[in-house]
Amino acid sequence: MKRAYLIELTIFRDYGKQLLALGFLVAVLVGCGMQTVLAAPSIITCMFFMMGAMGAAAYDEQNDWGRFRLTLPLSRRDVVLGRYAAIVTLGLGGMAVGLLAAFAISAVTGAVELPGEPSQALTLDPGTLSGMAFATTFCLLIGATVASVVTPIYFRLGQTKATQLLPTIIVMLFVLPVVFLGNSGLLDGALPGAEQIAAFLAYIETPGGLFVGCAGMVAAAAVILAVSAALSLRLYETREL
Amino acid sequence: MSGNLIEARGLTKHYDGFSLESVDLTVNEGEVVGFIGQNGAGKSTTIKALLGLIKLDGGGAQVLGTPSDELSHPSGAAVKERVGVVFDTVSLPGHLRVSDVGRIYRSAYASWDAHAFDRLARELDLDPKKAVKDLSRGMGMKLSLACALAHDPQVLILDEATAGLDPMARDEALDRLREFVARPGRAILMSSHITSDLERIADRIVCIDAGRIVFDLPKDVITDETGIARCRVADFERVAASGVVPERELRYLRHDYGIDVLVPDRFAFAENFPEIPCDRMTIDDYMALTLKGGVR
Repeated sequence: MKRAYLIELTIFRDYGKQLLALGFLVAVLVGCGMQTVLAAPSIITCMFFMMGAMGAAAYDEQNDWGRFRLTLPLSRRDVVLGRYAAIVTLGLGGMAVGLLAAFAISAVTGAVELPGEPSQALTLDPGTLSGMAFATTFCLLIGATVASVVTPIYFRLGQTKATQLLPTIIVMLFVLPVVFLGNSGLLDGALPGAEQIAAFLAYIETPGGLFVGCAGMVAAAAVILAVSAALSLRLYETREL
Repeated sequence: MSGNLIEARGLTKHYDGFSLESVDLTVNEGEVVGFIGQNGAGKSTTIKALLGLIKLDGGGAQVLGTPSDELSHPSGAAVKERVGVVFDTVSLPGHLRVSDVGRIYRSAYASWDAHAFDRLARELDLDPKKAVKDLSRGMGMKLSLACALAHDPQVLILDEATAGLDPMARDEALDRLREFVARPGRAILMSSHITSDLERIADRIVCIDAGRIVFDLPKDVITDETGIARCRVADFERVAASGVVPERELRYLRHDYGIDVLVPDRFAFAENFPEIPCDRMTIDDYMALTLKGGVR
């Protein structure tokens, strides 16, 4: 698996560098545009998980690389695990860049007096930090979930075919349930479990709750990725190249 | 393994509109086997089957004693340390530089010899800074060959590896392959449309057509023993009636100015029919007579 991971990183290196630089720029623009640094790391984290999954799959079809790779001393298992490790690396790299951008914006606006009140809005106070931690971890979960949905499809069908099907699959998995739920009448009146949700959100706002919430979401992301990797392996084992 | 570094028995694979039918193929230690056939005849499918890239419907293959269907699994992947593969294109993402390609192979192979790769790259005029997508087809194939040779494999499986090389580069590539196979315990399976390359390097020629092996002969039998007799119609009838070529084995190919006849023993033929020109056989002619010729 280590070999496959190192190969993925070599292939990814240039794309990753561009993506990290772009991520930093987007984080700065988002932070300045929204006049808060809270959202920037979460957006970049989510974006990098998705782009990692999709970008990596794109290379598989270049010059038959996906087929040739299996003539190297790698098993299909190595290839799948290497791919997930690379996606996670890029996702976490995105998170690091987002956080770095947030801290950089805050430091710069703290040091340089800006017209109006943006300096104050971009300050990293404890409330902003807590919100940033929660939002970033939540977006890590979302990004990991999307990567976990698309990666098995890429492994089974290849990038070209998968890209044709993915919009339909994404709509079916993420949009249709919300539409059905909205039209089902279940959400009319009181939201089922609204009290529990409110209690949970109140708990999350405590320092202990924040830690548990973030740890839970990271664990959930890990489990989702692991299940997805197992599914990818199953699908890739039977794929003819 | 009994000296067979590659062994396939009864390889069968069905696709819509094409089937590989019971293909037998062996590559022995010290041998260069030329694998020929028309486009779509089944060469690449056979190579994919040998490398365990497709699931077979019947038969089985072994590479270096390991079943091909294990080569993509953890139990068999390590065997590929000793196998060098070149496909008919540079099978690497285009944005990689030549030096990145070396890095990829270094990660992949425990036996990767970075110095050997750098030396080969220098000798083959491969600029380490050049991207794969900017290499010409010939330069790309040189890169692929350098990669296949630099991890000291025992077996080379080459699918159209000399395609796109200019004559000088082909000479150089063939010399390197000859050097490679001269060392003990090594062998090459080489599919190619450039049969002149095979005439220079191959020990045995295996021809596939429509998914079936049509012939499997020592190259010397084709190029040294057999001949191609350039007959007129009257000559052809005389040759057929003489029994020099056994009945139902007389292969011929008609063209505008006469009939070419496949002669199993050109020296015996020349003694019997000194007035009929009988040329040395080429692999191309042998293939054409076998695949397109009539039988009488």
